[in-house]
Amino acid sequence: MTPTCPSLKSIPVEAPRILSVGTANPPDKYTQEELLEYYKETDWKIRSIFLGGHISTRHLYLPEPVNGMMPEETNEELIQKHLRGSLEIGSQAISECLEPLGLAPYDIDFICCLSSTGFLCPGITAHIIKHMGFRENVRRADILGMGCNAGINGLQAVTDFANANPGKYALLVCIEICSAAYVYNKNINTAVVNSLFGDGAAAIVVCRDSRLTWQDGPRVLDFEPHIIPDAIDAMRFGLEDNKLSFYLDRDIPYVIGMNVLKPISRLLGRHQIKKRHIQHWLVHSGGKKVIDAIAYNLGLTRHDLRHTIHVLKNFGNLSSASFLFSYKELLEETSFQEADQAVMITMGPGTSIETALLQW
Amino acid sequence: MKNYKTLRVTQEGNVVTVRLHRPEKENAINMQMVYDLKDVVDVLTDANDVSVMVLRGSEGIFSRGIDLCDFSLDKPPDIYGLQHWEKMCRQIERLNKYTIAVVEGECIGGGLQLVLLCDARIAERKAVFQLPEVKLGFLPGMATFRLAKYVGLGRAKNIVLTGKRFKAEEALSWGILDQVYDPVELEEMLQQKINKLLPLHQEVLELARRLLLESYASEYEDFIGGFLAAQHRAIHSDAFRELILKAPSGTKAKEIFTAKDASKHSRKK
Repeated sequence: MTPTCPSLKSIPVEAPRILSVGTANPPDKYTQEELLEYYKETDWKIRSIFLGGHISTRHLYLPEPVNGMMPEETNEELIQKHLRGSLEIGSQAISECLEPLGLAPYDIDFICCLSSTGFLCPGITAHIIKHMGFRENVRRADILGMGCNAGINGLQAVTDFANANPGKYALLVCIEICSAAYVYNKNINTAVVNSLFGDGAAAIVVCRDSRLTWQDGPRVLDFEPHIIPDAIDAMRFGLEDNKLSFYLDRDIPYVIGMNVLKPISRLLGRHQIKKRHIQHWLVHSGGKKVIDAIAYNLGLTRHDLRHTIHVLKNFGNLSSASFLFSYKELLEETSFQEADQAVMITMGPGTSIETALLQW
Repeated sequence: MKNYKTLRVTQEGNVVTVRLHRPEKENAINMQMVYDLKDVVDVLTDANDVSVMVLRGSEGIFSRGIDLCDFSLDKPPDIYGLQHWEKMCRQIERLNKYTIAVVEGECIGGGLQLVLLCDARIAERKAVFQLPEVKLGFLPGMATFRLAKYVGLGRAKNIVLTGKRFKAEEALSWGILDQVYDPVELEEMLQQKINKLLPLHQEVLELARRLLLESYASEYEDFIGGFLAAQHRAIHSDAFRELILKAPSGTKAKEIFTAKDASKHSRKK
């Protein structure tokens, strides 16, 4: 067989590898129909947004209905829910990620936690460290409020740490309790958000070690960001009834579509590789329209985007954790060959498109 | 253009002609030809000075079909070679150039499969087509997927299940071919066809073709999302901007509407 790709001469053979991935969701799963029922939603416009068919189920932390109605959650309850949920699914995802490697929290040298769905001080890392028993000298960083793209920003941080500290373990944890940023006020804008986002957490371990091989996991080779300052207001937190509420501009899918080729061309061009040399695409499950926009602007097929579409269908948009759910599905499905390449794409507020190049 | 063992590839301006060329074997398709075609397609994909690929045979024959000599009795046949063939076919079908199949003489089995991949398909009047595989005991590749979309299920069954031979005129009336020409006029008509086609908007062509290919397998609700994404890209192209610039000035229309509005208002009064 002919080699699938020219060798990446610019990259040292030894680069940080992703060794394991773990994911977790809240125990309760809801269909879109069930949610409309809980909220006694009768507005046909809102109902049709929920029932668009691209999402079937989502895991959410929702309060117990009182007299068949969903009680309104206070701001304080939402903040409490974010912390409680973060500790529950965050630590589940971490355990699932560490166990196959025979590692314990104690072995981790750097922990980086991401969340855009709640604000805590001290940050989530401090709570997770206390909850799970990490070392007292573990390095840590909390990345807050960067949104759906943040997973790759976090991957940059753990990759840089791993690269600078061979043999040490860096842990990235994306925790999104989107149900802690839900506002139900019968407004179309909040309805779009409420119909789309789900709760989930994902963790990966990254390490650079000369003894690791392609069978241990893909090398994280390079990153290429792209920010569109003109569209800074297109996705943002605003206040609705004194609660944080996410706002999504309707043009977002098209803005992303128009720009996505730019970072991808730079990322691949730098290594003299073409789109056809990429076997695996891991794209953030942002929503049906943005997935379509990426498909038609990058020339990706539904098969290329099958994990992205599947994760959206079964979990909704898990913000920064989504692409790692796709990554986990890819690992479970595929038998990789040495030198297989993957591109990760996440997009979010900024407006921001983050990309990463991986090679087995 | 590179030299290939099984192909003759020439370039004239922005038109590349790829001729299947195994004269000793009536252009039968062997594994080498699959690899050669894949390589040509890779090169063409990246070539920004090419707009059209013409795919044709040589020495009066398009192709006799798959070369069974490539299969050995020493080991059980595996599916991977055929998978390479299908992968290469898909690349031709989705190539970012306009593709034209030109058929002279016999176009059998894998040859016809190649023709079905192209955007335009023309032939000389005495060309003959056949998918004999089922009759022989195997399958005509993903022509099983593509053929019915050109000719309808009934005719596809007739062609595939009986393995019958049919002439260019029939292929034309069924929709496999776009045009049939007398041998003497074939080259001139091909040239005319290309001249009319150029210049073309490659990106938009690619988007339109993708949507057409997907149209058979999509729900309206799924499809329209893809269409809107594609159209958004198209209306942001330089070509579309030019169109707007060249369009007759909008002032006229504006005047008409304001005039209408004015009369409406006056009527209300």
